[in-house]
Amino acid sequence: MSAVKMENILKMTAIEKIKHLYWRAGFGMSPKEWKNASNLSLEQAVNDLFDRAKSIQKIKAHVFEFPSDRPKNLSKEEKKAIRKNERKLVLKQNADWVRRMADPSESALLEKMCLFWHGHFACTTKGSKIANDQLNTIRKHALGTFGDLVHAMAKDVSMIRFLNNQQNRKNKPNENFARELMELFTIGRGNYTENDIKEAARAFTGWSSNFKRDFVFRKNQHDFGSKTFMGKKGNFNGDEIIDIILARPETADFIVRKIYRFFVNERVDETRVKYLSKLFYNSNYDIKKLMHSIFSSGWFYYPGNIGTKIKSPIELMAGTMRTLGVMFDEPTTLFFLEKALGQVLFNPPNVAGWPGGKAWIDNSTLMLRLNLVTYLFQAVDLNFKTKEEFESAQRNKRVRRIKAEVDLIPMVEFFKNDPQSSVFKNLSSYLLQANSNLELTDFDRFIIKNNQDDFVKTLILRLMSLPEYQMC
Amino acid sequence: MKRRDFFKTSALASTSLMIPSFLKGYVGKGLFSSRSGKNLVVIQLSGGNDGLNTVVPFQNDIYYRSRPTLGVDKNKVLKISDAQGLNPVMEPLRPLYDDGLMCIINSVGYPNPDRSHFRSMDIWHTASSSDEYLSTGWIGRYLDNHCEGCTPPYHALEADDSLSLALKSVEQNGFAMSDPKSLKRATNNKFLKAISNHDHRHEENVAYLYKTMIDTQSSANYLFEQSKIYQSKQYYPQTPFGRDLKQIAELITAETDTKIYYVSLSGFDTHANQKNQQERLLRQYADAVAAFVKDLKQNQLLEDTLILTFSEFGRRVKQNGSNGTDHGTANNLFLFGGKLKTPGFYNSAPDLKILDNGDLIYEIDFRRVYATILEDWLDADVKQILKGNFEKLNLV
Repeated sequence: MSAVKMENILKMTAIEKIKHLYWRAGFGMSPKEWKNASNLSLEQAVNDLFDRAKSIQKIKAHVFEFPSDRPKNLSKEEKKAIRKNERKLVLKQNADWVRRMADPSESALLEKMCLFWHGHFACTTKGSKIANDQLNTIRKHALGTFGDLVHAMAKDVSMIRFLNNQQNRKNKPNENFARELMELFTIGRGNYTENDIKEAARAFTGWSSNFKRDFVFRKNQHDFGSKTFMGKKGNFNGDEIIDIILARPETADFIVRKIYRFFVNERVDETRVKYLSKLFYNSNYDIKKLMHSIFSSGWFYYPGNIGTKIKSPIELMAGTMRTLGVMFDEPTTLFFLEKALGQVLFNPPNVAGWPGGKAWIDNSTLMLRLNLVTYLFQAVDLNFKTKEEFESAQRNKRVRRIKAEVDLIPMVEFFKNDPQSSVFKNLSSYLLQANSNLELTDFDRFIIKNNQDDFVKTLILRLMSLPEYQMC
Repeated sequence: MKRRDFFKTSALASTSLMIPSFLKGYVGKGLFSSRSGKNLVVIQLSGGNDGLNTVVPFQNDIYYRSRPTLGVDKNKVLKISDAQGLNPVMEPLRPLYDDGLMCIINSVGYPNPDRSHFRSMDIWHTASSSDEYLSTGWIGRYLDNHCEGCTPPYHALEADDSLSLALKSVEQNGFAMSDPKSLKRATNNKFLKAISNHDHRHEENVAYLYKTMIDTQSSANYLFEQSKIYQSKQYYPQTPFGRDLKQIAELITAETDTKIYYVSLSGFDTHANQKNQQERLLRQYADAVAAFVKDLKQNQLLEDTLILTFSEFGRRVKQNGSNGTDHGTANNLFLFGGKLKTPGFYNSAPDLKILDNGDLIYEIDFRRVYATILEDWLDADVKQILKGNFEKLNLV
């Protein structure tokens, strides 16, 4: 092999690695990012991701501010109007968020971390202010320390309302939050007793919210008595309960395992998780340090970890939007797709979040996924209706067509003068993370070859319709 | 870019139908016929339905003491036995009970009950013990064991956009279809049909995607054709659940090669202000089930159909501080059908005196119900599907 060829292979490998990094730490690459990646080393690419996550802007849009006093005698219609407006606002926040994930000028790493924590601290959120507040809390701590994040989430109004801590009062405990705190948010099953749940619930009594949707500590509802929790005795409050849980190394192990499954591989490598858990625990739960260590590890780029993860619906859509410059005409379109594909932001299936992996896939969601780009290109009509009520102004309407615009000019320009075999090779490599054994001839009947522009466009459509495109 | 700019030719818009070669795999291998066997319809009440306010122990003082504001008024309960009666919103089910088409099993549960929704639901779906984690469902394992390699995916059909764990397995998942028309439309893509005929060697997850795609293509046309055969004239409530049951009745009547139907009604997690929410849902349930049973009966299909209703757990005996109930344990379970061996109440009302930490103690393991259905109704080999020995009940 000549020196030049060898160099090419090494160069391609670096780009392949950066592409993997961009997919797992973010939402894939825009055509421009793909072009620029050839000038970057892997180390530069990793550091750049973290640099861009440094300045975190608070999000504040589509929020309904409640008056400080509960308005008296609201009619049924007025209440209904408020709820409808709230749904609309949350939907706009949802669409804005996916747009940020797809936008190359935003921090992809920050948005990806937020998506992870959003699924971890899974809440169904129907109000615009509490949705916005929760997202900002997650943004603030997404790459900070896990301890700060848990403490903040325990005081998060959406969380409090979703898990009934609003109703958790002295002598009338409601255990919902205390149970999920341990089972799902921190230490995991098998590391606490039913009695620990009962005692922890007492410590969180009085953690509530007011009409303005702000956190309040209701002293007269709080149980100040002595509790026995995880073998310790004291007049614990909620914060102290969380600290006791954080002091247990099992908590670091539980979180790292989940992060590994989300960012690296569903099949957990015990040695690596053990190493990372120690690092996480000893760094006082420094999330940034943990993620940097993962993305800088050689094993993260092993072939077995590349292209083997089934994209979540949000990853699929945000990635497709980033690649094709998709603009949806209305936020309801995106919401409809989220619903049909099984992942609606601010509305996970239950407090355990989205299970992920093969669970995304059944016959119905797979066909919609495979046809998604065809619908975006408006090559055929969709004509699809979600089963439950469409929580928007377009209640229960059949969606006939995905109203969106795509921008293929960057890619068409990029390949203007390349031979078709090289376009096929490069486009396959850009669009597919999993290896495909299809040849250009397999596409012959389904693409237009006598015109370079149409060739590029139709090839993009077909490559993005492959099952292999579902992988990252 | 607009549609017209994209297409200089219309060659890409694919609408033509072809019979793909992979369909051949299903021909001549002995398809199940629902008419030669029996149908099972599983109705899941998600969120943990409060069984004590569904089948009310109206003679029990402890019940009313434990639920000072939530107890169902004794005068309004539909008294179907000396001790227990139905919640008044379930009036449409009363004639079914009177005609011997309904069986109520009290205190169904499992040892060391788990009060977490998804864990307890997983236990019910996988038929595991509470300290055991399985990744396949009891219906999924039935599919795997009953007819290795030859079961069509729609042999077990869930009326939903996605598939529950109960219908997942190693070899052959069940099939999710909320609507036959949109399913067919989604699979009608020439390019996808062409690549599905390609020879593939793939990483595990990619291979899974290809397999699912091919199975879906082969099933979509079949179910679409089946769905056109019979249009029910029975009145069903205009709720998603009502529409699901109507579709199932139509498929059963059309002699579809589907043996198990699965459908859910959710929203039963009533921690606060329970009464309105639970009764709204129970009314939806009762209206739709009564219509469904009537429909099948008119077509002489009730004898071949067994309907099972369960929830992942019941709720605490005592109401909580917010006019709701917290997660509990044992619960009642309903069967409907034309061939019930023990219509009425299968066993006596739950004991409210002897509780475990404020919760009902189970009397009948839910896996005994599964074992009975699998062996006595579906003619399956229980040992291949359920771990352990579960004494059968006298149900069907």
